[in-house]
Amino acid sequence: MKVLGFIVTVLTGALLIYGTLDMPNYGDPDSPASSHVSPRYITDTEIDTATPNIVTSVLADYRGYDTLGETTVIFTAGMSCILILRRRKKSYKV
Amino acid sequence: MLEFIISKYNFWIYIILMMIGFYAMIAKTNLVKKIIGMNIFQTAIILFFVSTAYKSDATLPILLNSQGHGAGHHAAEQVIEVSQYINPLPHVLMLTAIVVMVATLGVALAIVIRVYRDYGTLNEDEIIKAIK
Amino acid sequence: MILPFDIILQLFVIICAVAAITVKDLMSAVIILGAYSFFMCLMWAQMGAVDVAFTEASVSAGIGTILCIAAVMKTTRRTKD
Repeated sequence: MKVLGFIVTVLTGALLIYGTLDMPNYGDPDSPASSHVSPRYITDTEIDTATPNIVTSVLADYRGYDTLGETTVIFTAGMSCILILRRRKKSYKV
Repeated sequence: MLEFIISKYNFWIYIILMMIGFYAMIAKTNLVKKIIGMNIFQTAIILFFVSTAYKSDATLPILLNSQGHGAGHHAAEQVIEVSQYINPLPHVLMLTAIVVMVATLGVALAIVIRVYRDYGTLNEDEIIKAIK
Repeated sequence: MILPFDIILQLFVIICAVAAITVKDLMSAVIILGAYSFFMCLMWAQMGAVDVAFTEASVSAGIGTILCIAAVMKTTRRTKD
């Protein structure tokens, strides 16, 4: 298992390193990731939300439903922890 | 050639971190070691996403010279350069991903505690032998 | 980006990751994972992602390490690999 795992890992790593050759350079201001939506967030955040910190304005104002879904995930995780770790009574023991 | 390496070696470091986590998830037989590998894997992915937000010669995504509340009336006078601030969008998405990462860690550790309570071992091979 | 600082941080992160999966004691592995999370937090602060760094330092390095320590205390420290 160790040898097989090592071979699979090295193959995956080689494939990913081959993929990075087409990535934009580290620190490129015109990369595709920072040229579509984020200029609007940067320029309009003070007019729309009056918050100096752009990250929190996007987190709580522009994408508030995303944060609501995250809260649902945390709630589900807590409930499943309680259900997994609960000690059952003897009569229910399977 | 050296310039090419300097502009790309960050991604290679992240891929090496991801490979370490992936190897631990596949080859280690202890369940807690597998969870540690999963944590390293997720952190490497988040690191890669945050690194795509970086712009050279840019500052943090917090507005300089902000007037705070009520700034909307005067904001038209101030011109904001987009290349002056780091891209904030990957930071927001990865903030969510970090919290989800800790939630999955908690559920995984709860399952490990339950498995130890039932079988008395954390070794994967011994658990499979006990099930059969 | 300050290149020597960046290289030193990445070296420490890789050393912490390798040590966390090779050490033979689960409690040591979990504590090394906490150190790994703090180095990762430094890397993010150095990249300019301060909010992500705060969240990592409080949530992942704090609560995650505490959860791991609680799980190891409730089970066992011994491991074969």
